[in-house]
Amino acid sequence: MLVAGAAIFFYAPTDFLQGPVQRIFYLHVSSAIAAYGCFAVVLVGGLIYLRNESAIADRFARAGALVGVVFTTVTLVMGMLWAKPIWGTFWTWDARLTSTLVLWIIYAGYLLVRRLAEPGRQAARLAAVVGIFGFIDVPIVHFSVTWWRTQHPGPIIVNDALPAQMLATFLFTMACTLVLAAVMVWIRYRIETLTDERLHVAEPVQMATSREPEPAQ
Amino acid sequence: MNPVRVALAVARKDLRSEWRTREMVPALAQFIVLALLIGNFGFQIDGHNAPTIAPGILWLALVFAGLVAFGRTFAAEREQASLEAMLMTPASPVAIFAGKALAASLLLVICEAVLLPALTIFFGTELNGDLIFAVLLATIGMAALGVMFAALVARVRARELLLPLLTLPLWIPFVVAGGQAVQSAMGLPGNYQEAIGLLIDFDILFVVLTSLAARFVLDE
Amino acid sequence: MSLVVGNGLTHWFGRELALEGVDLVIDTGEHMAVLGENGAGKTTLLRILATMLKPTSGQLQIAGLDAFKERRRLRHYLGYAAHATGLYPALTAVENLEFFCDLQEASRTRVDESLDVVGLASVAKRRAGELSRGMQQRLALARAILHEPRLLILDEPDASLGDDAADLLTRLMRDRTVVMATHDHALANRLCQRTLVLRHGRSHGTASRLRVVK
Repeated sequence: MLVAGAAIFFYAPTDFLQGPVQRIFYLHVSSAIAAYGCFAVVLVGGLIYLRNESAIADRFARAGALVGVVFTTVTLVMGMLWAKPIWGTFWTWDARLTSTLVLWIIYAGYLLVRRLAEPGRQAARLAAVVGIFGFIDVPIVHFSVTWWRTQHPGPIIVNDALPAQMLATFLFTMACTLVLAAVMVWIRYRIETLTDERLHVAEPVQMATSREPEPAQ
Repeated sequence: MNPVRVALAVARKDLRSEWRTREMVPALAQFIVLALLIGNFGFQIDGHNAPTIAPGILWLALVFAGLVAFGRTFAAEREQASLEAMLMTPASPVAIFAGKALAASLLLVICEAVLLPALTIFFGTELNGDLIFAVLLATIGMAALGVMFAALVARVRARELLLPLLTLPLWIPFVVAGGQAVQSAMGLPGNYQEAIGLLIDFDILFVVLTSLAARFVLDE
Repeated sequence: MSLVVGNGLTHWFGRELALEGVDLVIDTGEHMAVLGENGAGKTTLLRILATMLKPTSGQLQIAGLDAFKERRRLRHYLGYAAHATGLYPALTAVENLEFFCDLQEASRTRVDESLDVVGLASVAKRRAGELSRGMQQRLALARAILHEPRLLILDEPDASLGDDAADLLTRLMRDRTVVMATHDHALANRLCQRTLVLRHGRSHGTASRLRVVK
């Protein structure tokens, strides 16, 4: 990550239009992508958990949610820091910002449900449902707001083509961020495993296959 | 018992209970009145621009009324542990969910039946079939989601906080599309056909998803 | 063939151990009492037996089936009544029972029969919320037997019933396998052939009626 930081500041050329502030862009977008990656982990973990109550899947889901919220927060904050000098305002209700905010709210809700529900099976199931609905909702919100914007044209975010050096920096930063995210998820997973052991949560034991009920007596 | 009859039995039971206690009516009525008052005094309106803020007022009132109505569907069950009693029967959780969603939507529709004419009277908006259709379509999807999350938070602490937190992000698409549909039905610029198409898509998607999720949320 | 076989039933609520390694065997037609102080784990055990709670570990077989996996199928077998009555206060006694009758796929004639068994025929048309605590308890019991379950699980049914608790319960328990949690040792002795004593979540063995360990 440090190398990525150095690359951001010294290697990439200063953007013509936006000045040095534009450098936030690398981390901002990488963060967003890392966050989506984490929430995909939550989605998959949740689905697997609902299917066969695997404690491992649930732990990954929890880890993913926490790390994902962290990265989403970073994305939002950086976005706002970048927006103020460039647009003159901290916020605008366009599709991307709205859906990222919604993303944050949903997964904050996920974490709350985990914390407030009865620990163990119930918390895991309910949170899995939240995670699944949340993941599906975000693209829908994005789409809705985009559609709405086509009805009411508003500020347009310019996306220039990136010169080679910037692109390279960006890809490198993104790679580093993803690795960082993966490491954080893994660390969190280990923590959750220890927590589970203290709470006596284990993989479900497979019982003998079921038979027909005994005849009435 | 076949699921449809279970759902109807549950809906009938809910509506009968609500009718006899009439607890929800004052709460919902409050929201409608509040929304109308705020609409009038909170914004600079006169005869001309009153209709333009009417859609916003409508959705504000609906969202809050919805949160109240859906939040309460499981309040009673929780108090009496009757949800457990229902789950101890062979009735499928999806059917129970459908019944409760049906009952809760009906209550919201009754609200709407009061709200829409009120908007016409106080804000001068048009009341026509298009408008009613749009509102009803949105109610379906919002009810499915609202009731599902109400069931989810029924057994969790801090449910008054959690219900809006979880439900509102999922209602956004309905408010956006529904808002457009309502606007154009009221004679303001907007693409009615597209908005309705979106509402239908959202309805189908979320009714299917919530039905699938029902058994995880309701059952132990 | 035993109707209920439980092995090593254990349940944690977060970090609290409610039940630890409880084994039990209940034969068809038996009446078993579960004794123990408040907090000993009786309710937890009964909820597990009623397949309403999945134990953190351990196995439970009812009628030869994995209790939790097949719980949908076992609903017909099981009847459950606990402290919380699970009734709708705004509905009358009859309406309450009719509703649950429909959900249970039982014939509506059972409504009147069950009301008779618990002695509530006279208040059939009164709203459940207006009934006394004891009557509500009886109504909950009536609800539990609507579908004529083979296994009846009762959590402190005598708690609000009056003096005729024993008679009422005897009627209810006839021809059924019953697991009943109670504080009342004398009642347990009178109604049940065996008792299981729970202390701090652990089973202190089962005993026949003559040897109830305090």
